[in-house]
Amino acid sequence: MPIYLAAAYAVFWALTFVLVFSIWLRQQKLEQEISDLAARLERSDKNTG
Amino acid sequence: MNFFRKVCAIVAKDVAAELHTREMVSAMLVFAVLALFIFSFALDLRGAMARAAAPGVLWATVAFAGTLGLSRSLAREQQSGCIDGLMLAPVDRSAIFFGKAIGNLIFMAVVETVLLPLFSALFDAPLLQPEVLLVAVLGTVGYGAVGTLLAAIAVNTRAREVMLPVLLLPLAIPALIAAVQATGRLVEGGTLAEAGGWVRLLVVYDLVIVAVSMLTFGYVVEE
Amino acid sequence: MRKLGQDWLGIVLAGLSSAALFVALGMVFLYAPREATMGDVQRIFYFHVASAWVGFFAFFVTFAAGIGYLARGERRWDILALSSVEIGLTFITMTVVTGSLWARPAWGTYWTWEPRLTISAVQLLIYIAYGMLRAAIESPERKARFAAVYGIVAFVTVPLSWFAIRWWRTIHPDILTSGEGMAMTSRMVHTLLTSLAAFTLLYATLLRQRTRLERAADALAWLRLRAENEKGV
Repeated sequence: MPIYLAAAYAVFWALTFVLVFSIWLRQQKLEQEISDLAARLERSDKNTG
Repeated sequence: MNFFRKVCAIVAKDVAAELHTREMVSAMLVFAVLALFIFSFALDLRGAMARAAAPGVLWATVAFAGTLGLSRSLAREQQSGCIDGLMLAPVDRSAIFFGKAIGNLIFMAVVETVLLPLFSALFDAPLLQPEVLLVAVLGTVGYGAVGTLLAAIAVNTRAREVMLPVLLLPLAIPALIAAVQATGRLVEGGTLAEAGGWVRLLVVYDLVIVAVSMLTFGYVVEE
Repeated sequence: MRKLGQDWLGIVLAGLSSAALFVALGMVFLYAPREATMGDVQRIFYFHVASAWVGFFAFFVTFAAGIGYLARGERRWDILALSSVEIGLTFITMTVVTGSLWARPAWGTYWTWEPRLTISAVQLLIYIAYGMLRAAIESPERKARFAAVYGIVAFVTVPLSWFAIRWWRTIHPDILTSGEGMAMTSRMVHTLLTSLAAFTLLYATLLRQRTRLERAADALAWLRLRAENEKGV
């Protein structure tokens, strides 16, 4: 009986964590793209500037 | 040209096009009959079970055949470039919506006119009562209205027609439940008053869904 | 485009929702009474109902945001709509899964066509379809417009589905679960309301994070476009 109770509350926590983690992952990807872009811009500035 | 005449013109165009080839309605009919057979075999419907299952099988069949017709109707519209033409003319968006929707309703009605007697015979269920026809009309109106709106959306997606059942069926659930329950009550020998709650729900659904579909249709066809 | 600085509101929300969830959890296990017929398994009820209500609220926000987008045509309404759907889907999934986990020990079956569970499953289907619709459209403007229309029409059918399912279950009650009514004591009400508040705060926290993510993605895409055009990078 208590296994279902524990499983249910684990589900609440797990699904919340999945969403938070998914947002965090996408944020990491964005930050990676930002540094890539910054690097490319620097290189381009060095070449032309 | 006033609103009513614009709507009639659009309906007349669609019906004339269909009368020419009859491909859409015949496909819907063949599909419906096939679905009827599949349900009968799959659920082993005989005798009393058949009569009990008749309303459900009927409405499931109408729903699926309906998606065929709705997708085809809007796809045809897109291919012929007709909607773009209608948009250039000074036609009110809601007139286009009602024109398309009424055309679709007529096609579904043709299919149901064949299905109801067929079901009556095969399932030994008294489906040819005027009360059942009322329920059929109410259910079809709601389904056809929201179906027209969603078909207009679906046709413009990558997946095209495949998208329509996914979008439409969950939204049709209130009408489906109400239509099946009302038809079931009437088939068991109940009066319209007994099925009244379900009929009222269908009316509310129809009013709400037609209003919302009409108001948002313009946003779907504008470019 | 507004600059995205340090997110004080986000931090405050995260703190508040964590605290609220902690309190709610405490109430669920220590304050709420042990239910007579079902025992401790019944404690699933509080978060299960809270996630159902907040999930539905999330879809209402999408409905309102859809109207906002059609009226104004501004991207921020679309961001609100899609973010709210993502969070709403998470909550509704919780509702359906925990409902199933509750049904098994309480009524011996993993699924019951109980109104709340059924309407949650219907919402799950509707908003998965919403996601599929967005994914099937290339143009961002069309994506936003069609999604807004679907978000509006779909939400309008949910209360109607709720009534239809309720009446359907009243006429054809599940023999297994017909003892569904639960006597609510005041302690149970307090626990439920606290859970509801905690979930609402959680929703706000997640919404904040998700919308900020989308705005950052937009800003980056715009910057990339500028870099390619102006620098040939």
